[in-house]
Formats: sequence, C-alpha cells, structure tokens
Amino acid sequence: MHSNNPFQRGSSFVSSEFDRRKLLKLGATAAAGAAASGVLAACSSGGGSGSSSGGTATVRIWSWYTEMKDTLPAVIKDFEAKNPNIKIDSRIFGTPDQYLPALTAAVSGGDVPEIFAPHVRAITYGEQGISADLEKELGSSFLQNFFPPTNQEYTKNGKQYAVGWEAQTFGLFYNPDIFKQAGVNGEPETWDDLIQAAAKINAVGKASVSISCNPTTSALDFFLPLITQVADDPTYYLKLDQLQEGYTYTDKLVVQALELNDRIVKAKVFQPGTTGTSGDQAQQLFYTEGAAMFFAGSWTPSGLITNAPAAFVKKYKVMKTPAIKSGARHWTADQAGAGFAVSETSKNKDAALTFLKYLYSDAVYSDLMNKSNSMPSTQSAAEKITNPMLKLMTSWLPDGCPHIPFGAGSSAAGDPLGKIFDQSASPATVAQEMQVAVLNAKG
Amino acid sequence: MSRNSIPAPPWTRVSMRPRGQSVWKLQRSERLAGYGFVLPISVLFAVFVGWPILFAMYLSFTRWSGFGAPNFTGFANYTRMLNDPVAAGAFVNTIVFALVTTIIQTAIPLVIAVLLSAVWAGLGVVIRTILFIPGIVSFVVSGVLWKLIYDPNLGTLNTTLKSLGLGDLAQHWLSNPHLVLPSIIVVSVWAATGMNMLIFFAGIQGVDPTYYEAAEVDGANRWQQFWYVTVPGLRVVTAIVISLNLMNGFKVFDIIYVMTGGGPSHQSEVFGTYLYGLAFGSTSGSIPQLGYGSAFSVVVMLLGGVAVLVQVILSKRANR
Repeated sequence: MHSNNPFQRGSSFVSSEFDRRKLLKLGATAAAGAAASGVLAACSSGGGSGSSSGGTATVRIWSWYTEMKDTLPAVIKDFEAKNPNIKIDSRIFGTPDQYLPALTAAVSGGDVPEIFAPHVRAITYGEQGISADLEKELGSSFLQNFFPPTNQEYTKNGKQYAVGWEAQTFGLFYNPDIFKQAGVNGEPETWDDLIQAAAKINAVGKASVSISCNPTTSALDFFLPLITQVADDPTYYLKLDQLQEGYTYTDKLVVQALELNDRIVKAKVFQPGTTGTSGDQAQQLFYTEGAAMFFAGSWTPSGLITNAPAAFVKKYKVMKTPAIKSGARHWTADQAGAGFAVSETSKNKDAALTFLKYLYSDAVYSDLMNKSNSMPSTQSAAEKITNPMLKLMTSWLPDGCPHIPFGAGSSAAGDPLGKIFDQSASPATVAQEMQVAVLNAKG
Repeated sequence: MSRNSIPAPPWTRVSMRPRGQSVWKLQRSERLAGYGFVLPISVLFAVFVGWPILFAMYLSFTRWSGFGAPNFTGFANYTRMLNDPVAAGAFVNTIVFALVTTIIQTAIPLVIAVLLSAVWAGLGVVIRTILFIPGIVSFVVSGVLWKLIYDPNLGTLNTTLKSLGLGDLAQHWLSNPHLVLPSIIVVSVWAATGMNMLIFFAGIQGVDPTYYEAAEVDGANRWQQFWYVTVPGLRVVTAIVISLNLMNGFKVFDIIYVMTGGGPSHQSEVFGTYLYGLAFGSTSGSIPQLGYGSAFSVVVMLLGGVAVLVQVILSKRANR
C-alpha cells in the first residue's frame, strides 16, 4: 500500500529528515532558540534599557503621575528639539499599584529607569546606591528653591536622593450646599465643631466626612494632624516614624491621639465602611453629594476637575483640618509624596540630570503644575499658581508639620490604626499593635 | 501485523511501548527521537517555570528586597508566617474561599447541566450561551463590573433593592467585614458556573444512554436516574472539576485584588493578594519583602499540590 503519510517509516521524510544527527541538530537549534528568546525577552524592556545608539542617549522616566499625561509630551518634544542627542521615553503608570511592581522588577533586574518616582523608597534606594545623591549632582543652589520639608523628606546623612515633584498637604473639601441644607454655619474650626456639624449632616441623610481607609495607610494621613496637635510638636510624628530613642507608639500622647480619633469615629463623622472604601470611592461619594465633606490631599482638585461634574467643581470649597481647640494650630502634612529620583548606575545619568534640570526650570515647571492643577514643590512655582483651591492650600504649608507618614514602618502602623476606624479594638490595644507592627516591619 | 498495515513511526512506538518496558530497550535512534521532541518544551519549561519555582523556593529562605544580595535566614520566613495574624487570616480566607467555591461551583453547574440535557433541552443552546458568557470575561473585568454593582451608593444592587422597597437589605457589600468574602464568592460562582456547566454537559453526553434505559425499565424515577446513573457516570469529570475549582480557589488573586485589594482591614485577604503586596509593596509602597512573599508562594504551590492529589485520588477511585 502506498501512503502519503510523511510519518510513515521508510518515507522520504523519515529516512532523510530524522536521522540521529539531524535530530540532535534540530534539538540543539530549538534549545538555542528557546534560550535566545528568553535572553532577548529579558534584554528588551520596551523602553530600551536607557540605551545609547548613534550618539543618542535614551532617558526613561517612570511615574504614576497621571495628571501629567496630557502636558508632559509637549515638554518632552520641546526638550528633544533643543537636545537632539537625548531621547526621552516617558511611561506614566495609572496608579502606584501598577507602578510599584514594575519599579521593583526593574530594580531587582538591575535595569533602573534613569528618572523614576521613588515613592517611599527614596532613602532606601539611595543608601543602596540605586539612586543618585542629587545634592552632589545638582548642587545646593538648585535645591534651595524647593520647600524645605520636601528636601528634608528625601535627605539622610547629608545626601538627598530625590526631589519633590508635587508638594502635598491635606484638608477637608466640603460642599456648601449640604452645609446649608443641614444648617451648618461656617467651617468647623475644632474637632468638637466637626462632631456637632456631623450630627446635623447625618440628620439630613448624608454622610458627614468621606474618607478612604483602604488601604489602611490612608488612615495614617488622618492620624497625622491628630498626633501632631495632641503632641503640639510638628516633628513628633517624624521622630515616631523614625523610632527615634524615647519615641514609641505606646506613648501616652499616641494613645491620646488614638482616643481622639476613636471619639471622632464613634460620633459617626465618617461614612460607614471606611476601611472598605478606596480613594476613588471616597472622592466619588463626595462629588455625587452623598457626603458633605471629603478628607484628602492636595491632589484632589486635579482629580475633581477630571471626574466631577463641572457644576460641582465650581461650588466645592476646602478648609483646614480642624484643630484640637479654638485658636490652636491645625498642623497638617507638608511634604511631597510625589518626587523624582535619578538612577545612580545608568550610563545616561548625565542626560537624565539634564532633563531633570529642564523639567524644573522655572517656566517649564510652573506651566506643568498649572496645566495639571498640581501643587508645586518649588517656592518660585508656588508664587505662580493659578488654581484658587491650590493657591489656598499652598498658603497653608507654613502651618504644616514637615512630614507625611513616610518611614519604612509607616505602612505597617496603618493596619492597627484601621481597627479604630472599624471599631474592632481600643486605642490602647491599637497603640501596642502599632508598635509591634512597626518594629516587625523594620526588622 | 498484516502486509498492508502501516508500520508505526518510532515516536509512536515509544509511546506505545508495553508498560514496564525500559526505555533503554528501545533503539538508540528511537530514544533520541523521543528526547529530541521533548527537548524544546523541556527547555522552555525549565527556563520559564522550573527555574522561577526553584528561585522562589530559594528566596523563601532569605530576606531580600530586590537589591543587593539575599540574606539567608533559614526558616525565619516560615516561622514568621506562623506568628503573623494577617497571614493566619489570609490562610483561613484562602481555605474558606477554595472550599466554598469548590462546593458551589461543582454542585450548581452539575445540576444545571443535568437540567439542560434532560429537562430544558429545547432551550439548551440559549441557556448554555447565557451561562457561558461570564466565563469568557476575564476575572479582572468581572471584578471591576461587580465592584460597580456592589457600590453602596451608586451600585445597581442597592439601587434595585431600594427601588423594590427593600432598602433595609441594602448593604455595604464590600466594606462590611462579614459580607465581603461571601460577596466575592458570588462573583466567582457567577464567573465559573458556565465553564463548569459545559464540562459536565459534555460529560453527560458521554454517559451510555442504555444505562438510563435499563434504569427506566427497572422503575427508577428521574432522581434515582440522576443519583445512580448520572453521578457515577460523571465521576472522572467531577474529579477534574473539583480539582480545577480547588486549584483556582487556592491561588485566587485577581478577582479579590480588583474588588477589595484584600480589605476591609484584610478581611478578604488571601495568600495570593497578601504575597503580592509583600513582594511588590504595592499600594502602601513599603519596601518589597520578596523573601517573605516567596514563602507564601511556596505554600500556595503546596496547596495547589493538594488539589492535584485530590484529583489523582478521585480519578483513581472513579476508574476502579
């Protein structure tokens, strides 16, 4: 029987193609191909590993600063036109959740982008030789234009490992219409005022203050003014965060601050389910008029312009977080959670520094901040803010404590603090758990 | 062998060798042919699966943040796991999620498949299609969709309940510590029912119809036919569905990550989401703990091994 089956023994296919030598050759080729594809896959990183080709240096810039996605391309285009030997490869991830795994992988793989948002890892990466000392690279004259807390945040032992991009403070955004409907006259000055206002607002079927405690680290942002006010020391939380000698979470001041926090929660100041509410959901609750107030940071005006109805953007207002007593200082955060670091090891470090200087040049930086409705980190740009909400919040910075929860153990303290918000533990217990959690996190 | 029969090629002869025959008794060229064919996939497996598994196992015995050299710490990560309350909660949630979804995602599709083949045969294609649609939607998309449905203020569920005069039943589905896991399980069941139903439906087509005829002659009613013919006839299929559900349950990540991120206060945290947060320091931005995270991945892998073991045992019993 004649068969066309090529797999039939004795067919030309088998006799000529599948002798031992050819099989071995085929296997070796396949193995080499597979290995090569793996190597190639590892080598290609989409943006080109900060490569230099034909005298052109590629500078990758990674962040999650989506406010810049519409404005940065034009700046890059201008820069590239003025610096034809430098190509900028910008990658703006949607959220820190999407960004941080990519940064972790890049650092682990030894291929750090030339400019990157360091999040809370700036000093750790700096001490490990991953990010450059910008005090040395850019000089103190360049850095002195920044708000001092934003520099201090990224500095350790005289070395500064990042510069602030967007400064950050917190406040209570509020809806005047709901205040009026509930009979709340004026902005609550103290926590007691806020508790009284909350009762009136809840009575008209609205949540009083919308807040996100998911992740629980967001709850720490609310705790910051409380602990600062109770201690009446703007650097207290910073020392606590660094676990300086004599500062522990079991201290009576921390317990008192937790008790104040507990009292605010018990008074139903916040919407139900705070520990299950994400930042987006909390903001949405505010602009859909389900809540009269919204505790959040200075990035909120930009988010509301993007997400909220135009009529709402026109009417909402912002006030300082309440004080512990009438006439007392409000103390809120004053640093820059959004910053930029430069890779120490990239061969295109000089090109990266050139681009960074261009980004922070007065006209470029001011324009970027204004177009994206962001709070600038430099004093000269702060003078040119056009958004009235940001102008007001920037004016509060002198009343800020020079800190945001930023230590390596900060995030660990958030979990126990969440128990105040969901009322599953007492302040004293939470204080003890915070201390244990932070010590564990710091190793 | 008849003169006209086609001699089998060497590689099929390799696979057809009698049980117990040593591979070394084959001709050398036949052995090489076999090795040649498995070599490419073996290399790919070794590079992209084997090596990462071995490296993760190694990392689980170290303290490493993704930079510098890993510090060998022995079993420290595993002992830390035993004293970590979040890990304990995540372990319980993982087991509960895996077991509950396995039971529901096996029972409901089985019943629907039986109904489709016996009772709703006329509507079979329509119902199969409707039920299968959620299965072709990725868990991430399903998660986002259901997060909107569950939204306490604007979500469809609460809005519908309120419009029906059942406002008292409206809940904070994903921020209530007692409701969050059941709410996510509902989404998992919604997404998995179609595919599992299809597997059972295909399995039912393979049950010999003469068994049903014989049962009917013996006076068995519909329920008895189901219990004594269909269920035993689907043992192998059921074993596969159970093991798939168990494995998917043990390694669940995407749907929970998208819907709650493990919150509120870790109440929906499972091993998958916890290890991801530890390894990449996401959201909170803490320093990556790749060693500790890898220890969790090893435990998840072992749990996956349990699921495979269950499948092997059930399949062996089914084949007896």
